[in-house]
Amino acid sequence: MTHQGIWVVAEQTVSGISRVSFELLAKARELKEQGGLQAPVTAVLLGENLDDYYSAKLMEAGAEAIILVDHPVLRYFQNETYAAVLKSLVEERQPSIILMGATAAGSDLAPTLGAKLHTGVSAHCVDMRLNEEGHLVAVVPAFGGKVLGDILCTNFRPQIATVRPGILGKVICFMHKQCPVERFDIADILAQDQSRVKALGITYEEMKGVPLEEAEIVVAGGFGIESKEIWQQLETLAAVLGGAVGCTRPPLDEGWAKESQMIGTSGKSIRPKVYIGMGISGATHHICGMKDAGLVISINKDEKSPIFDVSDIRITADAATILPLLIEGLQKNEDDVIC
Amino acid sequence: MKLNIAVCIKSVPDPEWYEKITIDIKTKTITRKGIPSIINPVDKNALEAALQLKEQFGGKVTVVCMAPPGATNELYEAMAMGADEAALLSDLAFAGADTLATSYTLAQGLNKLGKFDLVLTGTESADGATAQVPAQLAEWLKIPHLWNVKEFTFATEQELHAKVKMDDAVGEYVIQLPALLAVSREINKPRYTTAMGVMKARKKTLTILNKNDIDVNKSLIGQVGSPTWSGDISIPSLARKGQELIGTPEEIATQLIAKLRAAGINPAKRREGDGK
Amino acid sequence: MFTFTEEQEMLRKVIREFVEAEVAPKAQEWDEANHCPVELFPMLGEMGIVGTFVPEEYGGAGLGFVERSICLEELARHSAGLAITVMAHQLCMGGILNFGSEEQKKKYLPDLATGKKIGSLSLTEATGGSNFMGQKSTGEYKDWQWVINGRKCFITNSHLADVDLWTVITGQNEKGKPIMTAFIIDKDTPGHTAGRTEHKLGLCSSNTGDVSCVNVKLSPQQMLSQEGDGPKIALSTIQEVGRAGMSAICLGILRGCLEESVKFSNERIIYGKPLNKLMNIQFTIAENKLDYESAKLLTYRAASMKDKGLLCACEFALAKYAGNEGAIRAAKRTIDMMGGYGVINEYPIGRFLRDTLAGSTAGGTSDILKVVIAAETLKR
Repeated sequence: MTHQGIWVVAEQTVSGISRVSFELLAKARELKEQGGLQAPVTAVLLGENLDDYYSAKLMEAGAEAIILVDHPVLRYFQNETYAAVLKSLVEERQPSIILMGATAAGSDLAPTLGAKLHTGVSAHCVDMRLNEEGHLVAVVPAFGGKVLGDILCTNFRPQIATVRPGILGKVICFMHKQCPVERFDIADILAQDQSRVKALGITYEEMKGVPLEEAEIVVAGGFGIESKEIWQQLETLAAVLGGAVGCTRPPLDEGWAKESQMIGTSGKSIRPKVYIGMGISGATHHICGMKDAGLVISINKDEKSPIFDVSDIRITADAATILPLLIEGLQKNEDDVIC
Repeated sequence: MKLNIAVCIKSVPDPEWYEKITIDIKTKTITRKGIPSIINPVDKNALEAALQLKEQFGGKVTVVCMAPPGATNELYEAMAMGADEAALLSDLAFAGADTLATSYTLAQGLNKLGKFDLVLTGTESADGATAQVPAQLAEWLKIPHLWNVKEFTFATEQELHAKVKMDDAVGEYVIQLPALLAVSREINKPRYTTAMGVMKARKKTLTILNKNDIDVNKSLIGQVGSPTWSGDISIPSLARKGQELIGTPEEIATQLIAKLRAAGINPAKRREGDGK
Repeated sequence: MFTFTEEQEMLRKVIREFVEAEVAPKAQEWDEANHCPVELFPMLGEMGIVGTFVPEEYGGAGLGFVERSICLEELARHSAGLAITVMAHQLCMGGILNFGSEEQKKKYLPDLATGKKIGSLSLTEATGGSNFMGQKSTGEYKDWQWVINGRKCFITNSHLADVDLWTVITGQNEKGKPIMTAFIIDKDTPGHTAGRTEHKLGLCSSNTGDVSCVNVKLSPQQMLSQEGDGPKIALSTIQEVGRAGMSAICLGILRGCLEESVKFSNERIIYGKPLNKLMNIQFTIAENKLDYESAKLLTYRAASMKDKGLLCACEFALAKYAGNEGAIRAAKRTIDMMGGYGVINEYPIGRFLRDTLAGSTAGGTSDILKVVIAAETLKR
């Protein structure tokens, strides 16, 4: 087959490059080694003002070749424009595998590109490997993570897959000297771009404390948190522990938590050192998002909660009674040390 | 301005029942016997958005679904909620389709049914959750799309202004009609279906279209037309051997703090560390 | 013998979705606070739950009694208190629909059927509900007006109703028997007031109390049907609307008992096994199931007879009798099975028992129902 090599479509964010891009580069290097592939792992980055910082970062994370597409039009994600650019790049260079983060942009871009190229796309994989024939085997969750299935695309190239941020976890710092950095000109493509969708701007949510997916400690609350006051105590506990607050659907519906705090298949996948679930019963789609946590502590009134089956420490109690005691206990110890 | 709106819905096993899903070890297939089917939850938000537009501007709302014949229930339910017409794309040849073949079939169905100003879908299905059909459907229809839309308004008669959920951010876009929007659950609260709606539904038109009724290229539908295929399936075991903390709430809190310490979590040290 | 149509199945599904979202989470709270959730009425109206059997031309859903029973069963599954509020409201609508003039129907039904206004039927007096011919309230025709005086008790929606149907004695016939006549009284009519509120054993999220009329002056247009039609109106409304509704409500409570017993026995682990592995527990489940299914058949059969215009007084009496007694038995059995959990209010089963006991009088106690059933059976 003429298609060769693994591409990672990296994503520019307000503060640099999204972490999942680095996770994908580490995975791409692993796949390359596993399959004994020759072609370099190539990072493709679309954005604006892509200076040396970006290529250095991508190289450090494992890119062996870099294609930068730098243009003011690419400042914000626009599915039509981004897909048109990638389509012409792919048709020209013919990679075998394309990996993207299953971010908001990636989840939209991958299927759009897949349809344009008439090839298969595996959505939000939790793992991937190469089989004996060298085809990509993408492990994809279904039914809220209850079932895992292998997805293959053997007759079409490239094989496209998106991966949820945080699922692969590892970011590796590679020590290598130089890699070719190419700047791809898109003037011709833009000339043909119909641009029926145009971005006007993007507003970032104000982040409180540590981002959920980077926190070492996550305190998450669910249906069993019965009032806003108890929810605020839960936030206090997270602050005392220096952690982040996560949630399931009910606190979000109550308006106590934000969409960006939701853990699960329709939210974020996390792998903190410690996860403390309060009043969370443990529906499959939530468990799918927190199963990789180090120490799992669960507090729930209902002794039959499924979350207890996936917990290291189980406490059958009302979160409302334990919360103030924990906060008090932790703060007291803190003062003791300082005095 | 009258709008001709299509809403694509999916019939999915009720997520409340996912715990009951098992795998047949021999055939490697998923057993969902006895699990009721429902309209994919976020697709109801898409339908609600369509109904609100119809109420505001006038026009027609057509619901379209590609599924086995049993899905007529879900289509009648959508008409009970307020859709004017429904079409079921149903044929054995459509079975085993991945997102590309599914979206092709839906696109051909929509082309057969008329010219739509707006095609609305949910962001993703509760079962497969690939979230890929909306974008690919728009590609087959050769119309622009936006995915994960949480709000939209008409800027002009030919242009929508939409807010799109990004990661920890909201993007603002303009998009030209005809267009496809995949909406997220924040966009509205779907109305309840009323008794009157239920009774009216059976008097509305439900068309069943097979592969000959819609103009399809046979190499693009069903399993044949799907670039991807499924290999092994498994149900992962996530069980941990837990330890239960018991005692009075005070005793439990003390034990838990000790456990946190043991795991290297110490708020006091953390505070010193933060001071660096 | 009796099966539901596809529409009826879908109706049940959509009403259930509504009830699970809007009623179930708050039912216990309403009960504990003695709060009747009238705030839900406009929504119930939009849903077609209150005006189920009212024709579309009067703002209703234009459906039959099978559909009405489905709606009441689904409501009562989670809140029998709300269900009986709707049922009593429907007594008022039933009276106006079946006996009112075209003008009266046009004036009252649209607001009632859409839940914008609440109705009641004030029939029972201190002399007893079933001995309704013994009632003491009077209506006197003076100066081109009817003057109403009297006191009604145990009236559901007494303090909430905007439209109140009354029966009063308006004279004596040639044989010296009382002539009973029905009137429609608007809430703001001077002299019409609600009195004490009852504190009940169950159905606490419904409102029950006294209503008095002191020299309430009504124009002749407020008379329902003709002078002397009171007994007909009262009997038909109580038997065919009231008893029919109560049998569906009892059925809803019964299903609650059945579902709670199944859930508890599946989840509760005892001696290392789920409770449902014990044979005596299986007996409880089987008995609950039989009580539910038999009451269900009787209720929907009677309702479908009513929809076909057949006589069904005996059938509704059977249905309510089976449903109410069945629910009492099922609730007691389930409480026994649940042990300590059965008597704490975090579980709804105790409320189900209280509700079904409190619901025993509405539409006739079991003893009255037995008399009705026996009379019909002995005729043959």
